Amino acid sequence: MPGMNNGLDPDDPTVVAAFRAALLHQGIIALLIFAVLSVAWVSVRAQPDGSRAGGPDRPGHPLARVRAGLWAYGEPAGRQVLRIGFGLLWLLDAALLAQPGMAAGLPSQVIGPSAVSSPAWVQHVAGWAGSTWSYQPVEVSSAAVWIQAGIGLWLLAAPRGTSSRLAGLAGLTWGLIVWAFGQSFGGIFAPGLSWLSGAPGAAVLYAVAGGLLALPDRSWRTPRLGRALLGGLGAFLIGMAVLQAWPGRGFWQGISAGQPGTLAGLVQSLGGTPQPQALSALLSGFGSLVRAHGFAVNLVVVIVLAVTGLAFLAARRRVTGPALVAFLVLCLLAWVLTEDLGFLGGLGTDPGSMIPMALLAAGGYLALTRGPVTLAPAEEAPAEEVPADAVPAPAAAGLRDRWRERLRPAALHRSLTAATFGAMASLGAIGVILLGAVPMAAAQAAPAASVILAQAMDGGANPMDAPAPGFTLTDQHGRQVSLAGLHGQVVLLTFLDPVCVTDCPLIAQEFRAAGQLLGADSRRVELVAVNINPLYSQLAYIRAFDHAEGVDAVPNWHFLTSDPARLRQVYRAYGVASQTLPAGAMLGHSDIAFVVDQRGHLVQELNVDPGPGTPVTKSSFAAELADAARQILRSA
Amino acid sequence: MTRARRAVAGLALAMLAAGCGSSAARPAGTPPAGPVPLSLATALTSAGTAWATVPMGAPSGPNQFWQLFMLTGPGGRWSLRTPPGVATNGALVLAAQRGPTLVAGIRPSLDLGFSPVTETLDGGGTWSSLPPEPGFADVPDALAAAAGGQLIALGADQAVQAAVSQQAAWTTLITGKALAATAAGRRCALAGLTAVAHTPAGSPLLAGTCVRAGTAGVFTRRGGTWQLAGPALPAALSGRPVQVIRLSRVGGRDVALLQAGTGASAVLLAAWTGDGRNWALSPAFELSGSRAVSASFGADGAVAVVLSGGRGVTADGPGAAWRLLPPLPAGQAVVLALPADGPADLLAAAGSTMAVWQLAGRPARWVRIQTIKVPIQYGSSSGS
Repeated sequence: MPGMNNGLDPDDPTVVAAFRAALLHQGIIALLIFAVLSVAWVSVRAQPDGSRAGGPDRPGHPLARVRAGLWAYGEPAGRQVLRIGFGLLWLLDAALLAQPGMAAGLPSQVIGPSAVSSPAWVQHVAGWAGSTWSYQPVEVSSAAVWIQAGIGLWLLAAPRGTSSRLAGLAGLTWGLIVWAFGQSFGGIFAPGLSWLSGAPGAAVLYAVAGGLLALPDRSWRTPRLGRALLGGLGAFLIGMAVLQAWPGRGFWQGISAGQPGTLAGLVQSLGGTPQPQALSALLSGFGSLVRAHGFAVNLVVVIVLAVTGLAFLAARRRVTGPALVAFLVLCLLAWVLTEDLGFLGGLGTDPGSMIPMALLAAGGYLALTRGPVTLAPAEEAPAEEVPADAVPAPAAAGLRDRWRERLRPAALHRSLTAATFGAMASLGAIGVILLGAVPMAAAQAAPAASVILAQAMDGGANPMDAPAPGFTLTDQHGRQVSLAGLHGQVVLLTFLDPVCVTDCPLIAQEFRAAGQLLGADSRRVELVAVNINPLYSQLAYIRAFDHAEGVDAVPNWHFLTSDPARLRQVYRAYGVASQTLPAGAMLGHSDIAFVVDQRGHLVQELNVDPGPGTPVTKSSFAAELADAARQILRSA
Repeated sequence: MTRARRAVAGLALAMLAAGCGSSAARPAGTPPAGPVPLSLATALTSAGTAWATVPMGAPSGPNQFWQLFMLTGPGGRWSLRTPPGVATNGALVLAAQRGPTLVAGIRPSLDLGFSPVTETLDGGGTWSSLPPEPGFADVPDALAAAAGGQLIALGADQAVQAAVSQQAAWTTLITGKALAATAAGRRCALAGLTAVAHTPAGSPLLAGTCVRAGTAGVFTRRGGTWQLAGPALPAALSGRPVQVIRLSRVGGRDVALLQAGTGASAVLLAAWTGDGRNWALSPAFELSGSRAVSASFGADGAVAVVLSGGRGVTADGPGAAWRLLPPLPAGQAVVLALPADGPADLLAAAGSTMAVWQLAGRPARWVRIQTIKVPIQYGSSSGS
């Protein structure tokens, strides 16, 4: 999946610094969102109003409303567990995504490997996602942080009503996106599927929870939802038990043909993750146990999965309690021993599938066994708070009229006055989600990769201020081209070897792509390359190179050559060194580009060593060249 | 069972099926027999100067660099003569002319999409570039030079390119497909071209693989039409498929190396012609399960073949019998060279070291006579 390879170390300091800066700036905006909402809310409520006077214990006092909004609602216990549990998980995942290595490392270290053993179509999906991330690593990674943080906050802040259900819907949507594009569908289409290794993927469990939270309130009023949830979970666990017991998949053997069995191999692979010594020792001990008693360990797993699954499927209160306890214990053990907590190593994006699965089981159990809390009338929280004077217009009025009425300043003021703390916090959370979603959409629509990749590999541009040494050379069409003749145009100038096997073809492609990125501006830009190899100076080589790299049809492309003596004069004038190396090596030379302004002055020197030459890096260098030209054009 | 339970049970079964079905069987079958994969490592001798090209460095990839060595006169020493200023990762194809004059083509590799061509007139001391070729084929005889300076090349796309003089641009002489459509091509049922050379008169001589059994696919152009000009094989081999695996002009004659048959029953034959029509054939050499790895030519038409399993055979000239050499020294790449007026040299490359061996003593055994340390520029073609 070449699109994922940005050629950078996950801890590349340039990208990490840019990522931190983006998070900081967006964090300040997030705080401002909450600050503005808080000020607006408190200001409105501070206005004299007899009904709101008095201490916080009085009904109508803002703090009383905070309490009412957060704690005093009779939310069914099962729903509450899912909402708060997954809200906290989304927040934890956002914090994990904010780790320094995520921006540069996630595509190649997480998304790519997750799809390696999956079918081609899954790899294609993962490749698309990885490429998107790789092209705009800072923008997309910081956007993902805020989207997940926003969903988590929203779930925590909205315990009831439409807002809470919409938060669930947001969790469902983003969970499915992460599951499909970031986790390759949790590996369910790959060989070796096992509950112990995290099937069916953590994100789909987040999506299931989101879906449950998005259901209407009435769904939670009967045990039917709990029964369905536990039944689904039970069927899944039985299926996983069968897979775990399936002969030939290597789970029964601790050691097979001198090699660790499937489970032992899984545990052994976790040892490579940086982690605390105690956890490493625990994994090592468990690995030894599995190698020595692979059959017994797998038997225990199969039995617990099957029995728990059957108990959940039966959905009888008498058996589901003990089964839930057994399942929670198994989840806890698997979380530590076969998932290694999931989030260690600097590139863990979530705590694995065991915690969300345990939350789902607990939520299902509570939904089955405990009905919604019925509050005494005195302490019952108000229903959906809509001021009497903000009641929708008569049925005769159209939808548009109703919204117009709601958006009038007076109506907004009344809504703000009546809003609970939870509603305001939800509004802030939606703002945080938008803080991520908008840049992510913009990154998706960007025509080229971020310049940060090129800068991370080769450093930024060096400013210059000197007249560009003149030259007159022959272009690929046999015409004489002089630098003086190009005055009035911005010139992107580089030095290329027509028989080079690595960097030069890539640089030519980057120049061509830069011209495309410039669009209409490319009419005011000339793309010029000077042949750096005097041993292959004939026009036939220039033309062969142009044809091979597809630049022969680019109207503002000039690949210039001449006799070796004249070429060497140009090299000297620009301080470009080349070296003939022995034993079949290509000519050694620096990969450099100059930006010449319309007056014929050198204004920038760029290192254009193309690195690994992946589609991502080529796009980034093209963007850097196009930006450099645009900068000159704008300053003119 | 309620509808909901049926749904979840169905989901579980579907996931189970997905998990169990993921170890699908691969289609069985073996690939059909293809062309003989002869290495481009080779040696040739022309008017007292021997040239050899061998891959060195890594066994493959961007750190494998093909090197050119030269030996002048009897008793001389091999020396490195690789053309400068161009990466040789894609292999060298050689066309010797008079003595120290050699044309070398560089096959495309990595991001280089065409073939540079370069020439030395002084035994590799200085090189000057010739017009680039679109991309040489992956065969040792993809380039040939005639005495008048004409060049002929076989491209990777099976197009035969010609340049009337060494400074002229390449033009397409014929394509493999067009040749297969001629009367001669149909008679041979030409499957593909494998080598190019010139007749003594300077006409193009093309070689290929015929599907029709017992037919040696050598073609020349007479009177504007392409004609089959290969040797007639002995009746015992008439039922076997024949591949011309080498064809080169050395010492005033053209020499072809043929493989008749496939698998354990395959045999090697050398064929010599001085006029492009009448051929002298060597006896058949039973390969007995081994295969030809590389082949070289001496100045007088001698042929040397390195076989798999560390064996080597030579045939001294037109009609000569095959002579089995003592077991060859091991090396990452091994090529036999036949210098003028001297015994066979064996060049064995390993990493950046080239060892030269020669037969000596009775019974003859291989003795290392020279070691060359080649300054391989590891990483220079790997990008950054």
